[in-house]
Amino acid sequence: MVKLGRSAAVAALAAAVLALGACGGSDGKSEGGGAGGGGSAEAKTLTLWHYETGNSAMGTAWAEAMKEFEASHPGVKVKFEEKGFEQIQKTAGMVLNSDEAPDIMEYNKGNATAGLLSKQGLLTDLTEEATKRGWDKLLSPSLQTTAKYDERGIMGSGKWFGVPNYGEYVMVYYNKDMFEKAGVKVPTTFDEFTAALDTFAKKGTTPIAMAGAEYPAQQLFYLLALNKANRAWIDSFELYKGKVDFHGPEFTYAAQTISDWVKKGYIAKNSAGMKAEDMGVAFIGGKFPIMVSGSWWFGRMQEEIKGFKWGSFLWPGQFAPGSSGNIWVVPEKSKNKDLAYDFIDITMKKEVQNLLGNSGGIPVAADPAAITDEQNKELIENFNKLSTQDGLAFYPDWPAPGYYDVLVSGVQELINGDKKPEEVLDEIAQPYNDNLADIGN
Amino acid sequence: MTSDRHFGQPGRWAVLAALVVLAVVMLVPFAIVTLNAFKSPAEYSSGGPLSLPQGLYLDGIVTFWQRVDFGLKLWNSLLISGVVAVAAVLLSVLNAYALGVGRVRGRLWLLVLFLVANTLPQEALVYPLYYLAKQVGLYDSKLAVMLIFTVIQGAFGTYLLSSVLGQFPRGILEAAEIDGASRWRILWGIVVPVSRPTLTVLLIFFFIWTWNEFFLPMVFLISNDNQTVPVALGVLQGEKMMDATMSSASALLGIVPAVAFFLIFQRTLTRGITVGAIK
Repeated sequence: MVKLGRSAAVAALAAAVLALGACGGSDGKSEGGGAGGGGSAEAKTLTLWHYETGNSAMGTAWAEAMKEFEASHPGVKVKFEEKGFEQIQKTAGMVLNSDEAPDIMEYNKGNATAGLLSKQGLLTDLTEEATKRGWDKLLSPSLQTTAKYDERGIMGSGKWFGVPNYGEYVMVYYNKDMFEKAGVKVPTTFDEFTAALDTFAKKGTTPIAMAGAEYPAQQLFYLLALNKANRAWIDSFELYKGKVDFHGPEFTYAAQTISDWVKKGYIAKNSAGMKAEDMGVAFIGGKFPIMVSGSWWFGRMQEEIKGFKWGSFLWPGQFAPGSSGNIWVVPEKSKNKDLAYDFIDITMKKEVQNLLGNSGGIPVAADPAAITDEQNKELIENFNKLSTQDGLAFYPDWPAPGYYDVLVSGVQELINGDKKPEEVLDEIAQPYNDNLADIGN
Repeated sequence: MTSDRHFGQPGRWAVLAALVVLAVVMLVPFAIVTLNAFKSPAEYSSGGPLSLPQGLYLDGIVTFWQRVDFGLKLWNSLLISGVVAVAAVLLSVLNAYALGVGRVRGRLWLLVLFLVANTLPQEALVYPLYYLAKQVGLYDSKLAVMLIFTVIQGAFGTYLLSSVLGQFPRGILEAAEIDGASRWRILWGIVVPVSRPTLTVLLIFFFIWTWNEFFLPMVFLISNDNQTVPVALGVLQGEKMMDATMSSASALLGIVPAVAFFLIFQRTLTRGITVGAIK
């Protein structure tokens, strides 16, 4: 009868799964033992985690650094594990508090990430190594901001807890073909920039590709505020060195300008709901002449733009969002701290830094003459220019936990026209000031 | 069958049309994923997600497979889901036998407790489980995830099976008792064989649910050698960038095993439900 067949099938399944289970038990145990014994064994390993794609600039440069490390440290193997960004972001605190912590890992710069872990005592103080090995000379002061954290976990001063290998900044990508066709030259001042926007808008083209649902819109908002700001204001806003008036000239101008630009057709109203990926794909597809976003797009532009010529220029103004990239940290529970320091040192060497630059990244200590590709050279020169004019202004979502979402919804309301600029400014002031009270400023 | 009576009626066509629309809505995301899995990144960027690929581009799938050592991840997922499915069904049967057939005192409150345990978000469980696992040396081991999910799935199974077994024909049980069968014997000789269809369905559900789990495996399976398929898929999501075509390729690789599993056991699944209904 039917029953016979069915029971046979279920029995077979059960047997198969039980067999798997038997393997599982012994598997788990032997692996647990292996990991524990690894540290005491003869052959040393350096466990290293990062979350950059293998073919990205950082991935390429660090692969080379690992090779050099193994060559200069005979008998030591690098055990590299590629992690997901989200996994590191969500579980770092737990991992670093356990015996499974890696010897060295890439981690996010910022108060809520590296700052928090340093406050909890999970990261090794690198101050001594930084001075001994000269990392403090290689990195410019604004890049060092994200490497140092004080006892409250706030960046900008205190001890070294991380070492950045690369930089990033927000710039203007432009479609050369569309500029030529419209007879627009690359703008060098803010007035020329708005004139260019106006030319496109008058011809019926929306000039700026935008994404209101993610970081690009708040970065543009911040850029506009920066055009009315000075370094003292940035230090107040980002590093809590003074009071910030959200109804002062900086933010008032930014909110008003975004709202005006939507009305004038420089930014599409429907971009309020767009994601960064949509924005990038639209620009790569040749639908917009201008995209204001970060250097993290650069490699992808190089690879994927086929139909037209493109270039990049610095935002017309002294400042732009930007900072060091993510940082190397050495967990307090690292079993091979000295090896980890050696590895960081190799990543700061000229050869590795030059490779990073030639692969489309922004090195922090490269030899400018060694960068061969024209586009890469332009990218790096612009970064160096920004860095030397003290123009790296960090990111608007840094000052308070959860501030990213506050800014997304605030700027979205500006683009939609749901709220007046003054109302939006009140809305984004509240969480900022609450956070100030929390940290005792 | 009763459906013959309705054949040709307009209402039947309306239902069919609604089902077709529903099926299309359900299948469109899969179609888009499949479409983009075979596109090169440049094609995706210039044509957008809905354009047709110009050729079969397999690099995304191949690269992803090698990059995360996908074979190993498949094995880990299979192992964890398989063990959890069997162990959780076993646990559910034992619990439900006591609660549903045995009618222990306060069973209603016990069931409510199990239901509440089911509604707890996993985020709330993470820290306690993390400290427990660290204390007993099971952090970063597959065994920890197996134990956790056996209990989580077992809680649901207990709740469901208890109400099913609560309706178990008392006559059969009493007859067996009169014949002198022990409780253990009644469980394995009568209750389990009769409710086997339900148990099979439960087994398959537990397998697929465990397969799809992301959050707890991500927290507990730290080293890449222990990771499961969904955690491996997370590797592709960067801080600011996403690789749409490779994500599609990996999503396709992630779905295929679950779909294959479903197709293989689909006969058992449908038969299980109908047999149970007639009984």
